[in-house]
Amino acid sequence: MVVRPYNDELKYLEKVSDHCWRIKKGFQPNMNVEGCFYVNSRLERLMLEELKNSCRPGAVGGFLPGVKQIANVAALPGIVGRSIGLPDIHSGYGFAIGNMAAFDMDDPLSVVSPGGVGFDINCGVRLLRTNLYEKDVQPVKEQLAQSLFDHIPVGVGSKGIIPMNARDLEEALEMGMDWSLREGYVWAEDKEHCEEYGRMLNADPAKVSMRAKKRGLPQLGTLGAGNHYAEIQVVDEIYDKWSASKMGIEEKGQVVVMIHSGSRGFGHQVATDALVQMEKAMKRDKIETNDRQLACARINSVEGQDYLKAMAAAANFAWVNRSSMTFLTRQAFAKMFNTTPDDLDMHVIYDVSHNIAKVENHIVDGKERKLLVHRKGSTRAFPPHHPLIPVDYQLTGQPVLVGGTMGTCSYVLTGTEQGMHETFGSTCHGAGRALSRAKSRRNLDYKEVLDKLDQMGIAIRVASPKLVMEEAPESYKDVTDVVDTCHAAGISKKCIKMRPIAVIKG
Amino acid sequence: MEVEFSKENFLLPEVKYEYLDHTADVQIHGWGTSLKEAFEQCGVAMFGYMTELDYVSVEHCFEIEAQGDDLEGLLFHFLDELLFLFSAEPYLVCKKLKITKFDLETFEISCRCYGEPFELGKHPQGTEVKAITYSAMQIVQDTDACNYEVFVIIDI
Repeated sequence: MVVRPYNDELKYLEKVSDHCWRIKKGFQPNMNVEGCFYVNSRLERLMLEELKNSCRPGAVGGFLPGVKQIANVAALPGIVGRSIGLPDIHSGYGFAIGNMAAFDMDDPLSVVSPGGVGFDINCGVRLLRTNLYEKDVQPVKEQLAQSLFDHIPVGVGSKGIIPMNARDLEEALEMGMDWSLREGYVWAEDKEHCEEYGRMLNADPAKVSMRAKKRGLPQLGTLGAGNHYAEIQVVDEIYDKWSASKMGIEEKGQVVVMIHSGSRGFGHQVATDALVQMEKAMKRDKIETNDRQLACARINSVEGQDYLKAMAAAANFAWVNRSSMTFLTRQAFAKMFNTTPDDLDMHVIYDVSHNIAKVENHIVDGKERKLLVHRKGSTRAFPPHHPLIPVDYQLTGQPVLVGGTMGTCSYVLTGTEQGMHETFGSTCHGAGRALSRAKSRRNLDYKEVLDKLDQMGIAIRVASPKLVMEEAPESYKDVTDVVDTCHAAGISKKCIKMRPIAVIKG
Repeated sequence: MEVEFSKENFLLPEVKYEYLDHTADVQIHGWGTSLKEAFEQCGVAMFGYMTELDYVSVEHCFEIEAQGDDLEGLLFHFLDELLFLFSAEPYLVCKKLKITKFDLETFEISCRCYGEPFELGKHPQGTEVKAITYSAMQIVQDTDACNYEVFVIIDI
């Protein structure tokens, strides 16, 4: 890594508008394209502080700041356009979390990088609506939270309760949500409101290690731990009434359920296996990167193709996983209100993937090109009329689900034409960490955090007490800053704001 | 593979590990008077993040093997094997690790892992470890001072 004094580093950064900074070539070696990042004044300060801290002379260990990671990604072979940092960006493994980058599929040197997808392949957010209002749920809030917590297996070491054997798993990996539909866990219309209709067709379970399958089998239908959650939320604000009504959200106070989870141990192992394979491929093909963590392989190499097929299987796993929890959520609600999920109108509003690589067509320099788009901690946000979004949202643009943190709000945005041009149809994914986990544990008090949530009227069920501090709102950037930046920059548009009334976490 | 062991004269090692700061993840720092000990400590530290080891009793012993291309690779695969031991059958949480073969020429490890299967209700749920990473991995070997240290970032 190039280490220069902070003031010299700043010469490579230029503020091009109120909400966008440009990272010039030379900031890191061998940059093929420029980088950029989107921030408002508060997020800008966090971003630059992180860079400043890394410029201290004689610092050992430590980690690369997000800006440097954006620039290292800009040095990968085959990248087109710009390496883009979204407002919720923070330092991650290889790629920063909140970094998107697109690679030209027709360039034989282009690469695919598991670090650009993340360990939790197809981690994503799903939003279910109900026809209930806050007044219906408030009196039974605690019971409902407990019921959800009892229905959905959460936290370390919990096992799925959807009956599954090894053969079922193979089929689920290949079929994604079509498997869930066949087995009766979801409704046919759920698929319509999922990216890729809940199934990546190039999935090949044969390219997945036995170890990944063994890790995955017991965990199918589990929420997981860390930042994953299921939340009962209430619509707090509607910015775009017309788009909201297309999503079945009519007025303030309506109750929705948000599920944030991914591909569990299965995806983690697929990513780990691929990184090991790619280290070897890099030596063989003499691919040079600025950072060992940016392990990658040519898209057309055996390793590259195998990864894409295994990644697709992990993506399918994640959709089946979220679908299984959708099923359990519907059951919990139906039992509580003594009715059916149908009568509660518990439809899937949308399901987004924020850790994934996809083949998409985009216009680059006036020409249509086939690209492999990596989104790590970044959500696809396609504009109205895009052929890949469902018919119900053709006029509104794709719904983008942005999960907040425990006790803060969440948002639904919609995709815009400007986002399509500027960021390959991508936007933010959540709040993004600001404090390290260890720091959160030291600085925050378990009881204080819980009392605060209680005062806000939020019921909470959490498997691990330690997690309460780690995941406290104070540990994260303000999701409202993140979303406002995306809205102001025009890369997506605010539609609905929700606040939680019950949180279920690992 | 499960192996027989005797609970007589069974001693638990002293704690020689800590958890360091990292924005999204956690860095494990393990140390010892031999590299072998530092590796063992690092492995136990990982389990200590998943649950509270005070609640774990030693009931079973499983033997694992790991191999790498270099020292870093060996540490990576050693920890990956341990994570697998927890993530699938036998869902073992280890309180003590005893490396029985530590070959630094072929980079091979055999290790005995003492603990019991994770059980909800008995063992408090800590944080889930997604993966082992090479990120900022450091292996410090000071043979003169008999001081060995390893630093590993685990993705959580």
